[in-house]
Amino acid sequence: MNTSVKNIVTAVSASAALMASGSALAEIKIGIAGPMTGPVAQYGDMQFSGARMAIEQINADGGVMGEKLEAVEVDDVCDPKQAVTVANRLVNEGVQFVVGHLCSSSTQPASDIYEDEGILMITPASTSPEITSRGYELVFRTIGLDSMQGPVAGEYLASLNPDRVAVIHDKQQYGEGIATAVKETLEEKGVEVPMFDGITAGDKDFSSLVTKLKQADVDYVYYGGYHPELGLILRQARQANLDATFMGPEGVGNKDINSIAGEAAEGLLVTLPPAFDEKEANQELVKAFEEKGEDPSGPFVLTSYAAVQLIAEGIEKAESTDPFDVAAALREGSFETPIGTVEYDSKGDMESFEFVVYEWHSDGSKTPVN
Amino acid sequence: MATSNLKHALFCAIITLVVSYPILGFNLVSQGTSVGLEGANPTTVTAVFLAALAVFLFQLFRDQIMSGLGRVPKPALPTTRNMSDATRVRMQNLIILFVVIGAAIWPFLASRGSVDLATLVLIYVMLALGLNVVVGLAGLLDLGYVAFYAVGAYTFALLSQYFGISFWVALPTGALLAALFGLALGFPVLRLRGDYLAIVTLGFGEIIRILLNNWTSLTGGPNGIGGIPDPTLFGMEFGRRVKEEGNISFHDFFGIAYDSTHKIIFLYLIALVLAVMTFFAIRRLMQMPVGRSWEALREDEIAARSLGLSRTGVKLSAFTIGAFFAGFAGTVFASKQGFISPESFVFLESAIILAIVVLGGMGSQFGVILAAIAVTILPELAREFSEYRMLIFGAAMVLMMVWRPQGLLPMRRIHIHLDKPE
Amino acid sequence: MLDAYFLQQLINGLTIGSAYALIAIGYTMVYGIIGMINFAHGEIYMIGAYTALIAITGLAALGVAFLPIVLLVALICAVIVSSSAGWAVERIAYRPVRGRHRLIPLISAIGMSIFLQNYVHLAQGSRNMGFPLLIEGGFRFGAEGDFQTSISYIQITIFITTLICMAGLSWFIAKSRTGRACRAVSQDLGMSSLLGIDTNRIIAATFVIGAALAAVAGLLLGMYYGSIDPLFGFIAGLKAFTAAVLGGIGSIPGAMLGGLILGVSESMTSGYLSGEYKDVVSFGLLILILLFKPTGLLGKPEVEKI
Repeated sequence: MNTSVKNIVTAVSASAALMASGSALAEIKIGIAGPMTGPVAQYGDMQFSGARMAIEQINADGGVMGEKLEAVEVDDVCDPKQAVTVANRLVNEGVQFVVGHLCSSSTQPASDIYEDEGILMITPASTSPEITSRGYELVFRTIGLDSMQGPVAGEYLASLNPDRVAVIHDKQQYGEGIATAVKETLEEKGVEVPMFDGITAGDKDFSSLVTKLKQADVDYVYYGGYHPELGLILRQARQANLDATFMGPEGVGNKDINSIAGEAAEGLLVTLPPAFDEKEANQELVKAFEEKGEDPSGPFVLTSYAAVQLIAEGIEKAESTDPFDVAAALREGSFETPIGTVEYDSKGDMESFEFVVYEWHSDGSKTPVN
Repeated sequence: MATSNLKHALFCAIITLVVSYPILGFNLVSQGTSVGLEGANPTTVTAVFLAALAVFLFQLFRDQIMSGLGRVPKPALPTTRNMSDATRVRMQNLIILFVVIGAAIWPFLASRGSVDLATLVLIYVMLALGLNVVVGLAGLLDLGYVAFYAVGAYTFALLSQYFGISFWVALPTGALLAALFGLALGFPVLRLRGDYLAIVTLGFGEIIRILLNNWTSLTGGPNGIGGIPDPTLFGMEFGRRVKEEGNISFHDFFGIAYDSTHKIIFLYLIALVLAVMTFFAIRRLMQMPVGRSWEALREDEIAARSLGLSRTGVKLSAFTIGAFFAGFAGTVFASKQGFISPESFVFLESAIILAIVVLGGMGSQFGVILAAIAVTILPELAREFSEYRMLIFGAAMVLMMVWRPQGLLPMRRIHIHLDKPE
Repeated sequence: MLDAYFLQQLINGLTIGSAYALIAIGYTMVYGIIGMINFAHGEIYMIGAYTALIAITGLAALGVAFLPIVLLVALICAVIVSSSAGWAVERIAYRPVRGRHRLIPLISAIGMSIFLQNYVHLAQGSRNMGFPLLIEGGFRFGAEGDFQTSISYIQITIFITTLICMAGLSWFIAKSRTGRACRAVSQDLGMSSLLGIDTNRIIAATFVIGAALAAVAGLLLGMYYGSIDPLFGFIAGLKAFTAAVLGGIGSIPGAMLGGLILGVSESMTSGYLSGEYKDVVSFGLLILILLFKPTGLLGKPEVEKI
């Protein structure tokens, strides 16, 4: 009798304890914000695929400090206005950590809101230097800056001893930023830049531009922007017998450029982050992606994976889910991620991020040139 | 009937197939370096054929279906027709009062996201009320209204960036500058008629956007302008930290904990006050001679001119006043976003504002407000179908024009009933 | 300054301009007859380009590589689908609202344009699709080493096709029975229906003709540019509409003239100033011409009817 009462009491208290621990096992919400629709949705796909994989794997390993991660995915269409709307929605959902956004022009207004609301944001793709130059405490990135990529491209071009180089950009934050950095580097090295011109993103007819390039008699053309426009420029340049080598940033390093430019894509030079998916240490991860039927080779897949991982490790290191503590932990620590060892400076930029120059081929493959 | 109907039905079904099967049935996919073709999944193909069948059956039994529908009584709209005008106006005022009080209390009970959305709704209400003056009352087709909205927004953004001017100074400045743009544009173009006016205003809207986009040294180009300050309440700031020396923050002043919703609610209330002001200002104008002459000119330009109305003067006043309120809305928008770029001022935005005016019922202020709410909130509610929301929006615009072209709440004029002698 | 560079920019401008003219026909005919701006016309052109690409890719998958057959099949498919779409759009969105306040058809048209854009977007995705360049090569003039003016076969194809289409259309409007009916309806819709013309059929016919020409432009420009996406019809439509107004809306030679002027002014602006400002120049030109000649270059002056 006595023992049975005791048993019941223990059972009840045990189950109460279990329930209590169950309710304490609240999930940590991670917002993933990027374009699911719109013209650059394929880059958004890379971001979502990388972040989802990281969340799955972390949860399979028991989560972060015993709590599971939960993804809250939102679509900003790479439109600054939508970015503000979805940022407010994430605030509404009680999200404290965000992986995103993709386009620099969306990341910038959204980061104002996150910083104000005490939400930690890591962008896996936005390369504009301005994003981290405003003295924000909670803004980080897992990608290099335009101001790092531009000089790499500029120095490489200068090393080829060209006579004249034209620099073209699509007037977007990303494209113009890199193009300006390339131009400055080239001029420092004493290379003449007779032409620095903008085009309109979304335009399709570049015959006038190509004629102008032909007239300017340049050996090399640097294009700051994304692949849809460069693909067309390459193709129309070939049509008009323009004899120059083109170069672009990682925004053009996409197999879609081959379907647009065809043969004309042969010999295009591209600065890319090193192919993380070809690293020895990442082969297991690559296999995991391939088992899910996803492609880990896009430039933003593993940076997104790393962003989620950094949030998780930051939380564990800080032993707190307070974004300010996590931010402090991220600034102090050094983290091993698929994109290499990550250490942050005071601005929230990575201490080092490497870019490699590749030569692109008409079958969509690429070979490093230096 | 049978053969001609059958032929027509067959034709319609074939057209349905021709329009939908190639686009829906074959998907272009990038296969590595080239574009390839994939057949769509069987469900889509079945759906396409079912749609064609449905069109066929509908067209075949069109007469029967239509007469069947004709018997169903149309849903009666609430009507105040039997009231005298005096009672109606009194009723209206009472309703307005309740709605405004309700709208002022509501944000304290609602969630942050919905208050933020409601602010956007109020901005659209202001824009639509302003465009209503131009299109609904004066009958001038303006497809570049968004240009004035952009002028308001950029005025605030540039003034705050270069001169540190606050929201309260920028608000009238932006509105006046937008009005000035309206005047400057209106002067030469208003002698154009109808659709020529439409295309010129469209061109003007595009020119403003392209200039904002290309004048990088001043406007930041496509990168836009960020860090636009929030409005202050008697010098109190709503941010977590005070940005400007000498100001104190709202939560410190009242000794309450920092809560980001304060700022959102404050912005909402500002937008509410401005929207209500816009509403009453325009309502007043409508009852004044200038408002009457807008409508007179819309109804019959020749008759109005022969009665001594100055065509240019009347049209200009409508254009300028419309632009003024767009400038208002633009300033609030810049402040709400904290960041603006030319992408927010594309032609589609003009089209949406125009759609609001037409959906609401041209000239009808209540209708326009209702439509602004519907058009802004419905796509947000339909986020689950986020992919389909613009598709549905486009289809809704067409259907609305076909079935209820007079709008949700058609405009009613005050008029006097003469009792028929029995 | 008639140097090689100028000549090259002129050729570029005339190519684009004649393609604009093909699209502008659709605007100008519809406006001439029922006085409405068919905002969805740019989307019809986009649908034509997509259909052509689907046909070309499909034929390539089937192993058909004989160029004339590929082009012919693509052209026929594009024309059929676009014309059907033009017919359906008129039937669904415009006929029920015809004769109402002139804003009503306009809003209906904008709605249709948004609908069609998103229809193709959902069905085919938002990616830029590469369009195979079927007609390669071209002529070159000038000495080796100097700036060489080149004119590619595809540019020549665009010129010639536009000329043939324009000549055919002018003949059709002037001589054929339907063409005469078209002119009658555009003069006075009510009166022609009293005289026994099936005005509904004639209006549908103008939509179908405009759509067919837009489909031809879709195939040609798809090849010339090199990629298509669901949004590209809207911009092209806006340009073509500008061309139609510039030349005098309602006038077919006007559409041709407006298209060429617009194309050349665009290419000269990008050639001598900067590509960023080409749209400013085209819209500015439009505003200027309308201010001094309010019905366009070749438009008939409107008579105020009392």
